[in-house]
Amino acid sequence: MDSLNIEPTEFTPRINFDPENNIFEISGFSRPENVIGFYRPILKWLDEFSDTVLSKNVDFNKSLLTINLKMTYFNSASSKFLLDILLEFMKYHSRGNEVQINWHYEEGDDEIQESGEEISDMLGYPFNFIPYQT
Amino acid sequence: MGEVEIANEELLRHFGPLSYEEIGYLLNKMTLLLDKRGMNITIRKKVYAVMVESLENIYKHQDHIDNDKVYLPKFTLSIDTQFISMFVSNSIFNHKVSLLKSKLDKVNSLDKEGLKDLYKNTILSGNVSPKGGAGLGIINIAKVSENKITYTFAPVNEKYSYFTINIQIDHKQPK
Repeated sequence: MDSLNIEPTEFTPRINFDPENNIFEISGFSRPENVIGFYRPILKWLDEFSDTVLSKNVDFNKSLLTINLKMTYFNSASSKFLLDILLEFMKYHSRGNEVQINWHYEEGDDEIQESGEEISDMLGYPFNFIPYQT
Repeated sequence: MGEVEIANEELLRHFGPLSYEEIGYLLNKMTLLLDKRGMNITIRKKVYAVMVESLENIYKHQDHIDNDKVYLPKFTLSIDTQFISMFVSNSIFNHKVSLLKSKLDKVNSLDKEGLKDLYKNTILSGNVSPKGGAGLGIINIAKVSENKITYTFAPVNEKYSYFTINIQIDHKQPK
């Protein structure tokens, strides 16, 4: 399956989904004018990706999926879609894949850190919180 | 004679139609202004979030009055020794007033934990409308500002009202 790469714009984040290495990254800023138009193709890609993951899930070799989120800002409409994306990954987790979610935030940015804690709470799944300095 | 302390200084003002790019321009300007004043990242992010949600609310949900030049979208950002304050106004159909008022009263009745729960329940149950709103904007404004939202609905005519909200963010609060 092809990777999914979307370059960032003034209003939308960078997307790098690498199915070969099972690394999925969303980073930057999210305030799309058309939030459904931006996020729906990403959810569609994940839906198709599930067949690839699940077909590889033989007993001794279930892949680890690593998700890196490095958001600087996202509006409330985007938070709904970020949650939907992570819920897709939770499906793989329930099928036996290991899922690691890394939440990167700028040191001192309590808003982004708290948003991550809230999303982790909504999913009922622990995140790794990783501060970075600019 | 000692210096007179400025009680309330206006930092930013907008009056007129609001495009998506204009919202971006106001956000960039606010970031520069608060940066210059040495506001920490958390305060800047709070103001940013409240501005986005309230201005996007205008962009997505305002009801235009034909040929009107008075009740256009309005935004002001000001600062005093304790608070950063925003007034945000737009025209709205009268028949939408009671639902919006009940949403505002609901968020004003909740404390921080209550708002977190309401946000969580709304995001997990709600669908995103075709306009992109998820019913989350007002909850997010209350959650982030950590203050009650004051509001007015001034009647314009039998069809429209002019809706104004005032949001305050304490920039002196200890972290």
